[in-house]
Amino acid sequence: MRRIRGRSPLRHARLQLVLASVAIAVAVALPVILVSVGGGVSAHEIAQLEQSGYVISVSAAGVHGVSQSHALVPEFNAIASVAASSPVLSVPIDVYHGGRTPTPVLAEGVIPQELTPTLGPSEAGLFPSPLPLGDPTDMIHYANGTYTGPAVYDVLISTPFAAASGVRPGQTVVLSPTTNESVGISYHVTGAFGVPSTLLGPTGAFAVIVPLSDLQVLTGFARTSSTPSALLDSSDTVQVALSGSAENDPAQINAVAAHIQSLVPYYGVSTQLQQAQQLQNADAILTGFYLALSSVGLAVGLIFLAIVLIRRVESDRRSIGIRRALGLPPRWISADILGRGLALAAAGIVGGTALGIIVISVLTSYGTGAVQQAASLTVYDPVLLASIAAGVLVLALVASGLAARAALRVDIVEALR
Amino acid sequence: MIAPRSPPSIELVGVWKRYSRLSVPIDALRDVRLTLRPGEHISVEGPSGCGKTTLMNLLGLLDTPTAGEVLWDGRPVGGRSERERAHLRLTGIGFIFQRFYLLPTMTARENVELPLRAAGVGRSERIRRAEELLEEVGLQTRSGSFPHQLSGGEEQRVAIARALANRPVLLLADEPTGELDSAATESVLALIETVGAAAGATVVTVTHNPEVAARSHRHITMRDGRVIGDRREE
Repeated sequence: MRRIRGRSPLRHARLQLVLASVAIAVAVALPVILVSVGGGVSAHEIAQLEQSGYVISVSAAGVHGVSQSHALVPEFNAIASVAASSPVLSVPIDVYHGGRTPTPVLAEGVIPQELTPTLGPSEAGLFPSPLPLGDPTDMIHYANGTYTGPAVYDVLISTPFAAASGVRPGQTVVLSPTTNESVGISYHVTGAFGVPSTLLGPTGAFAVIVPLSDLQVLTGFARTSSTPSALLDSSDTVQVALSGSAENDPAQINAVAAHIQSLVPYYGVSTQLQQAQQLQNADAILTGFYLALSSVGLAVGLIFLAIVLIRRVESDRRSIGIRRALGLPPRWISADILGRGLALAAAGIVGGTALGIIVISVLTSYGTGAVQQAASLTVYDPVLLASIAAGVLVLALVASGLAARAALRVDIVEALR
Repeated sequence: MIAPRSPPSIELVGVWKRYSRLSVPIDALRDVRLTLRPGEHISVEGPSGCGKTTLMNLLGLLDTPTAGEVLWDGRPVGGRSERERAHLRLTGIGFIFQRFYLLPTMTARENVELPLRAAGVGRSERIRRAEELLEEVGLQTRSGSFPHQLSGGEEQRVAIARALANRPVLLLADEPTGELDSAATESVLALIETVGAAAGATVVTVTHNPEVAARSHRHITMRDGRVIGDRREE
């Protein structure tokens, strides 16, 4: 005699609500993944920086780098609390071995005795101590800036390079600044060093270490009597390590940095704390960018929620009219709709967070290369995740509020007609 | 707020209701003047479109007059806020609609409980009262049934139980048997008479069925938005 209430429309309405919740979940998963992985990578980088042995870095803009590097070492080391000052020059060169085609590698020139104290805890065990590079102070070959002393022609190779090239300690290689072996110099491989893992993997690091003066002469970064107009005893940076409690005391670190800056006012002097702060600032900017990017997805999800809820109000006009006719307080009707919207948003938040965690787990387990390594560094920041959840709830409240407003505007007489 | 516990004297003073349909004004009620005495059983009769339902909506505070006043015990109710009028509907007025208007997602008992919940009655008390009301309308065994599982007569009896939940002082029935067969019609009318009398409520039944109207003690006849007859049976 009467109507059979259709089940399809009800299922359709439920499907819309489920889809709205799924849209919010996907929108939540995106910032969870981006922020957690990005934050993890940044935290890892900062931790690596903080684990390095040096606390102050001197650098110069431009291709000339820091000049008179050898001369700066005793000046810096004379400052109280300074344990070592290690100039470092990084230059790409070619390595010739056994008549094979040359291998282009990144070479690092160091003063052996100064490098070791600037190595952090994670690096120290990877290098032989002392470094077997013949002249610990690199002053014999340097010979007061004349580069006329006898060179030792010792080289250390990294274990990844040794594995890839077949070069072993005890063998001889030719290092050349160009792809012409005839301008190269023969070096004796005196040892190997390990490479700490980085996000880019060990192959991204330098492959050979030679005395600073050797690399300067080999690559044209030294001043010799034959090239008086050439660069002056250059390095890229001078890394300064402090001794004792000074290396953990920001006041002492800043005092030493200020002293060094007064000695080399034309170079940049930065402390590890400043570098960490710069990384943190960069991380904050990236996080903001990720959140801005994700907010587009969130906005779409919440607009979808608002549309679904308003459509639900339209389809529930009769039911809302009945409730209002019976005298149910308007706040009941609002609360019902707000509750429904917030429940959907909460389901989306829980589902989205779970989805994000699952995606990151899958990337960690089955991803490849840098993606997998980045995923493995993920850090879940409870405050940030709670902020995302709170933001979604507030926006869901606004979306539900629009629907509740529409419900309270339903004309009772029209709805019951 | 008004929370009547005895039937009020309800007065309509020069009430007009004007609608605009396709920009054409239509006077659904024209200068209606009526006084409903407490406890009366009144029928409002007339052809379709004469203004019966509009009158009912105004009496039930679902709508407001364009002009004139609706007075409860001499106090105007038309100008009150929606919140106040909702409270008055909840606590003082019971509605019985032609199409029952039960909430489809709730069981019979939950439908009856709804006004009690909104009035702040505690859970155990409202379950007890809902079961009692369903028993009163002969549906004690169907309390767990959803509306789509009930017959038309049963649905209307649930609607009557819901209308009585907060012990209204005014019971408004708009074509309560319009969708029922004759057996169900008799049963529902008898029920409205019985429970209305038992509650001491003023009962107003809108109908265009003379047999339904004949059961009332006072007969108001409408045409073209006006009251053209008002007869009391001795």
